Amino acid sequence: MGVADQPEARDRDLMARLRQGDEDAFRGLFHRYAPSAKALAKRIVRQSHLAEEIVQEAFMAVWRDPGAYDGERGSVRSWFMGMVHHRAVDLVRREEAHHRRAEAAIPEALEEQTDHADDVVRQLGLPEERRIVRAALDELPPEQRQVLEQMYFDGLSQSQIAERTGIPLGTVKSRTLLGMRRMRSGLQEVER
Amino acid sequence: MTLDHYRIEELMAAEALGGLDDGDRAFLDRERAAHGACTTCGSIEAGFAETAGRLGFALTPEPIDDDMVDRIIAATARPPVAADLETPRDELSARRSRRPWAWAAVAAAAAAVMVLAVVTLTPRTTQVTEATSSQRVVAFTGTSEGTLAMAFTPGETGAVFWGSGLPDPSPGDVYEIWMIEDGAAVSGGCVTPVDGVIALHVDANIGTTDTMAVTSEAADCPTAPTNEPLLLADLTTIV
Repeated sequence: MGVADQPEARDRDLMARLRQGDEDAFRGLFHRYAPSAKALAKRIVRQSHLAEEIVQEAFMAVWRDPGAYDGERGSVRSWFMGMVHHRAVDLVRREEAHHRRAEAAIPEALEEQTDHADDVVRQLGLPEERRIVRAALDELPPEQRQVLEQMYFDGLSQSQIAERTGIPLGTVKSRTLLGMRRMRSGLQEVER
Repeated sequence: MTLDHYRIEELMAAEALGGLDDGDRAFLDRERAAHGACTTCGSIEAGFAETAGRLGFALTPEPIDDDMVDRIIAATARPPVAADLETPRDELSARRSRRPWAWAAVAAAAAAVMVLAVVTLTPRTTQVTEATSSQRVVAFTGTSEGTLAMAFTPGETGAVFWGSGLPDPSPGDVYEIWMIEDGAAVSGGCVTPVDGVIALHVDANIGTTDTMAVTSEAADCPTAPTNEPLLLADLTTIV
């Protein structure tokens, strides 16, 4: 069993109970993922109150329809964070204010972040997940990592990245694919 | 002509990261449809979705208001049931006040669409029919194939929708029904047609709604519309 499999089994149990309307299961899922979900949303929308609104909407969707999660398609954590990411990117693009916010804010570099919230989540095992994902990201060639981060954390499309960096669009696309392939296999390797 | 899996993989990698441009998205959607129940495509998509979903954990968690979970539970005063389309009015009111933006334009455009529909869609020009002395039946018009209608009683909670000949939404998407009032869109719930047929009851008060709309949305049933409406029904002419 991989390092990440045990938490996933717990998540699936929470989702099963949630389908029965179990409030404690919902609270468990919330306390487990809300801090990471807020970090992701905040990184994309750059504003704490908007990030909280996105997290609230995502958890509201889970609470209202836990049956939307399809265990055949992946882990609970990826599914939920995908929902948060989708909403955050959507908000940024809808409001068309991303450029202003990005220029006004100084993006946090992953390696420069302080783990001030570790105490909050240490007992829940998420620091281990963070270590795994960071290790896999660190293994990427810088040019691939940069494209993935600009796309995922900054909410940029491939053509926007090409425009901003001056890299040909075709190169952005190939770096995206190579980076994602490597990230996928990297996550699997780190977990072994 | 359909693409090989290398190109599909390239597109799906960008899609999982949220970085696919609109033109490439349309291209990928067409390829998805052409490949049908392609297990290779499904495996690529699931693998990248899983990978992308975990990227967010690289960030340092942010403290969050612990009371939020109580507010969510309180806002939905019953256990959630899958496929239940009920939307409490308190929540509707709260959500209605949050997102007025682009739907003002949709509401304004709805009347124009109706007029155009009368001209171009002869079989679908009967917008409002009196079913009984108090009930109303409204036909939707728009760009989607098939037919969709809604029956309701003004001033009373609840509406019944039925449709036929409706195309399946894009893979992973659902149809979402919206009630628009003063430019603010409130979700009436999500549904996926079975063999092109929709038959459902929405437990919400239609009474103050100007326009009904249907969009194609992600399966998580977002609380605000992200796509242009496929079907519209103007309720402002109903007495």
